[in-house]
Amino acid sequence: MAQAQVAKAAQRKRDRQYVFRKFKEQTTLQVLALICMAFLFIFNYIPMVGLTMAFNNFKPKLGLMGFFTSKWVGLKWFIELFNDSAFWPLLVNTISLSALRLIFTFPTPILFALALNEVGNMGIKRVVQTVSYLPHFISWVVTQGILVSFLNMQNGVLQQMMLNFGWIDEALPIMTSAKYFWGMYILTDIWKETGWSAIIFLAAITGVDPTLYEAAVVDGASRMQRIWHITLPSIKGTISIMLIMSLGGLIGGAMFEPCYLLYNSLNASKSEILQTYTLKVGLTQGRYSYGTAVGLFQSVISIILVLISNQASKWISGIGLF
Amino acid sequence: MANSKAANIHNKATKIKKTPEDIIINVVVYLICAIVFILTVYPFYYCVVISFNEGNDASLGGIFWWPRKPTLENYEQVFKNKKLMPAFGVTIARTLIGTVTSVLFTGIIAYGLAHKELVFRNFYFTVLIIAMYVSGGTIPTFLLYKNIGLYDTFWVYVVPSLFGIWNCILMMNFFREIPASLEESARIDGANDVTIFFRIIIPVSMPILATIALFNGVGHWNDWYATAFYTKSRSLQTAASQLKEIIAQSNLTAITSANPAMSMENAQRQVEGATQNFTAETIRMATMVVTVFPITVIYPFLQKYFVKGIMIGSIKG
Repeated sequence: MAQAQVAKAAQRKRDRQYVFRKFKEQTTLQVLALICMAFLFIFNYIPMVGLTMAFNNFKPKLGLMGFFTSKWVGLKWFIELFNDSAFWPLLVNTISLSALRLIFTFPTPILFALALNEVGNMGIKRVVQTVSYLPHFISWVVTQGILVSFLNMQNGVLQQMMLNFGWIDEALPIMTSAKYFWGMYILTDIWKETGWSAIIFLAAITGVDPTLYEAAVVDGASRMQRIWHITLPSIKGTISIMLIMSLGGLIGGAMFEPCYLLYNSLNASKSEILQTYTLKVGLTQGRYSYGTAVGLFQSVISIILVLISNQASKWISGIGLF
Repeated sequence: MANSKAANIHNKATKIKKTPEDIIINVVVYLICAIVFILTVYPFYYCVVISFNEGNDASLGGIFWWPRKPTLENYEQVFKNKKLMPAFGVTIARTLIGTVTSVLFTGIIAYGLAHKELVFRNFYFTVLIIAMYVSGGTIPTFLLYKNIGLYDTFWVYVVPSLFGIWNCILMMNFFREIPASLEESARIDGANDVTIFFRIIIPVSMPILATIALFNGVGHWNDWYATAFYTKSRSLQTAASQLKEIIAQSNLTAITSANPAMSMENAQRQVEGATQNFTAETIRMATMVVTVFPITVIYPFLQKYFVKGIMIGSIKG
């Protein structure tokens, strides 16, 4: 007994010495790691701690310590949010736009990748693919500028074209009415991200074993059958993982910029989402604590969505991120 | 390359005899390509066309393919503009400084963290992953910048984006693939960590560094958010934030013109501006073209790198 304990203690001592020696050997590397930790502490962990603001009445003059020393108010801000007259439209807009993106923006790159994979002419394929990335690199500000020039009611190109073809009798207030906002946003979103998101699916299609296609051809499978029975099942895993990842991002960052930029007083009832509201009440009106509570509420919803989709993906395809 | 090979087998097999199904699929597929090409290129092309056209003429509409009254006046106005040019200066400065420092800083740290025998590795990784998934959000971040003196300085553009967590993970995955023998032989020759990083790691990691530099550069170039919420001085305005203002003004015009009473006033203003060869619209177009041009020129050359970079990230991530 005693002997075993002594041996164990000696072992532990040796381990500690080993770690210490290793640590000394890699001083440079450890310094780098510590710099990284310091950076993350300042720029990621302090703001994280700042989420306490959602539960207290933050006073800016207290500085960063105000995260802790401000007066605690419990769930006051959340109760205020649920009673806010803007709350239900906000929630409906946020969730509807996320759902619409899921239904329309998510599958389009898969279809595009499948189509591109069927292109026999390598030159055309490469050109189309390169061109399709372009909108991804262009800011939403420029995208908004393009929308203005295509959709404005005086001389918007698209309005003129639709008038010329006789599809509409007079210019439609697409950018300046709530009615068209969701459609306009989703179509623009598809335009902007389809080519870029297709990269990952094309990469997955690359990984499909070519002998599968050869065997299918020998068995007399048609091209549609090969796409349906070989290509699609082979990239099922990639699709599931991208789905879960995009769901997390859906309700979070991706919608902020377009909704913030395309927002105006005439389409506000359909374009205001939780994220833009956080900024509006938090930074513009200076209600820091309330704004943080709105932001936190939105994060909680997105975490719930990720967990649900992960579970759903596990049931359907047997693949989950965690 | 493997992709084209697989596609070739897939397509060649069908070349033996073309069934009606093949023809239909080919037609549909090439049609999709044509539609994507036109939908993507035409909006940019249209901006270029209008930016080379006289302003009042452009406001009449009816221009689709070619400038009706060609002029360089719009560009002259943009390049003479006392607000826009300094803004482009700030944008170029933050893009260059921000990208170079961020790629180097993230790269050095990723090199440190990528070592397999790093002591406390698990702890470092946990801290990293938590920071990646949990964020304090806009307002605490804003308060942080205010309190540490970054608010309303040029450095608010550079310092917070020095280290990118996702970029760091991409780089670590890449560095781990570098054969250890390369580093060992350099060490035997007496090279220290610094020499190894700059003389060996950086040259062999060009694909991933180029990818991350592109993402970073585009991010800096396009960013208006930091300008809008973390600065207030005019001298810190960037091209993107100026463009945002210009577009917001035209949006305002659109709102007022949706209202008949106000649109009269708007028409009045246009008549007053009739002596000039440019309008707010054509200036906006020229600014957009100037903003978009550098990106359009650069990204196709880095394409083979970023496609690879994304694949590395997706396979490991």
